[in-house]
Amino acid sequence: MPKTGFLFSIPYLFLTACFFVIPLLLVIWFGFMPPKTFSLWQLPTFTNYSFIFSQAYIKSLGWSFLLAICTVILLLLICYPLAFAMAKVFKSSATFLTYAIAASLFIPENIRLFGWVIGLMKNGIIGGTLKLFGFQTDSLLYNIPVILLGMCYVYLPFMLFPLVLGIKMIPDQVREAAFDLGASPWQVFSKIDLPLSMPGITIGSVLVFVLSIGAIAEAKILGGQAIVVIAADIETEFTYGQNWPLGSALSTLLLLATLSLVFFVLAKINLAKILGKSEH
Amino acid sequence: MQQPLAGCSPQRQNSTTTFQNPNFLEIQDLTKKYGSYEAVRQVSLTVNEGEFFTLVGPSGSGKTTLLRMLVGMEAPTSGVIKLKGSVINNLPPNKRPTCMVFQTLALFPHMSVGLNVEFPMQIRGLRESERRTRAWELLKMLHLDPNKYYEKFPSQCSGGERQRVALARALAYNPEILFFDEPLSAIDAQLRKILQKELKDIQRTTGKTFFYVTHSLEEAMVMSDRLAILRAGQIEQIGSPHEIYSYPKNAFVASFMGEVNLLDIVGTGNSFAFWELRRSRFLIHLPETLPSEQKAKLLIRPENLRFSSTPQASPANSLPGRILNEFLIGSRKQFHFEVESGTILTVERLREEPIPTPVNYVYWEPHESQILNS
Repeated sequence: MPKTGFLFSIPYLFLTACFFVIPLLLVIWFGFMPPKTFSLWQLPTFTNYSFIFSQAYIKSLGWSFLLAICTVILLLLICYPLAFAMAKVFKSSATFLTYAIAASLFIPENIRLFGWVIGLMKNGIIGGTLKLFGFQTDSLLYNIPVILLGMCYVYLPFMLFPLVLGIKMIPDQVREAAFDLGASPWQVFSKIDLPLSMPGITIGSVLVFVLSIGAIAEAKILGGQAIVVIAADIETEFTYGQNWPLGSALSTLLLLATLSLVFFVLAKINLAKILGKSEH
Repeated sequence: MQQPLAGCSPQRQNSTTTFQNPNFLEIQDLTKKYGSYEAVRQVSLTVNEGEFFTLVGPSGSGKTTLLRMLVGMEAPTSGVIKLKGSVINNLPPNKRPTCMVFQTLALFPHMSVGLNVEFPMQIRGLRESERRTRAWELLKMLHLDPNKYYEKFPSQCSGGERQRVALARALAYNPEILFFDEPLSAIDAQLRKILQKELKDIQRTTGKTFFYVTHSLEEAMVMSDRLAILRAGQIEQIGSPHEIYSYPKNAFVASFMGEVNLLDIVGTGNSFAFWELRRSRFLIHLPETLPSEQKAKLLIRPENLRFSSTPQASPANSLPGRILNEFLIGSRKQFHFEVESGTILTVERLREEPIPTPVNYVYWEPHESQILNS
């Protein structure tokens, strides 16, 4: 009988190998091919990597990391109170809010971002309204805060919903017990709510981080020429640059950096221990 | 039939204890309304210092609401809560010198047993060494070996162990009064009995005032110095377990005690009453007179009913019928005696007591029954 488990997993192993593992390995392998070639059957070389480190790509990578980290922090600050209210305070209106926020996901990201462009451009919705009252403003677009605004706006649901679920899992009586044992509201938050909602915080943060480090539309549409993010560099190499090996090497580097950061954070936050399930 | 309600229980071993402060916790006309629904109606009672006081009521009687008002998690609509003479109505739970052991225990799942117990002391700002010493003492007192349990997590403990951790944590807060919201209801019967006695023991050794809430009168009887019976948000009776058992104020209290026989009787103006059934009518000799046409309940305890083959001489009451079922309950035997189809009396005799053959009647003396208001 123990063999059947493996047998049943074969279709999934096959799917995973074909559609996830092999393409990923191909990208990594392509990164070691000579520049501006399109064949996989050549001698591997480090030319692409040495080129990357001699150029300004690190700057793009830095921008991507910075924007992603800022997005995660801002969204944590914005979403935690809202998630708390949705999980513990609002009763039926929480469902409405959930649908309202999820509904925005039905519209493609770049269309929503162009909505912001209309709002923020010179003589746009904001500028035009201000003009009626005699205030002349320039375009509010094409700077880093606006990119951050766009990223927070687009990735808000991915932080909010894991947080709501995480906070919902905190038993009310546990919070009451802490309060009853003398803890101030702030102490209840820091000693009970925060550690117990860590699973939601972790999942939301990882999700938003991974999504926003690969984000490209916000920087392009709202940021214009303000900065170049790593995803834009990769796109350029695969399209205009026609340099697939360099694009692959950049992708591999991004993947490596992201994975190491995520695993580092996950290792620091021992979810099992937080939930009191550590087994010795 | 009415008994004085106040006073401490005389029949217990701690009758020697004189309570230092008879009005330790005072509740006056406490009321809680949710819209037009009154969950708690004008409840007044006092708890003595160092007493084990229990509030008993069926589910929906408002006992949890009352308890939540006492610990400060629910604001009363009207009424006064006084602790040691000062009004505590408006103190939030974290400022009240009271503490509650929850039905779910509400242990902190992300902290070890030791840190759970130390939590209230950490909040109060005690030094770590001091906290640790006290936590070890408390765990030891509650029969949890600190060497083994200090590092364990609540999820690694059994139900009974978690129970003790919750109690240790509450004691670590050093409250004036400890409140308990049915903490034993999720525990199997055997362990529950052990924990009930342990709880009583701890109450006596610590000298703390315990205010316990349960739906089980049996549990309340085992542990309490005094108890109050709550029904639909109102107090029906307050007294020692002995008083409640011997002199239930009405049929509700009596029926709450479990399997007792309550006969619907109608008075005749003298010491006789009619017990009307669907097909027959019996004339019952009462312990006292009952006004004509007045409806009442006659309480006869199962242990006061005896079997016979022939009717007994007056003034004993004999009812004909047959044994339907018998159950062995430890040292006693319980019988279901059918007077008429659908009307069953519960009879309890000692296990080794001989039963007459054939059994044609049950009988009791009038003084063994009590007339109660329904």
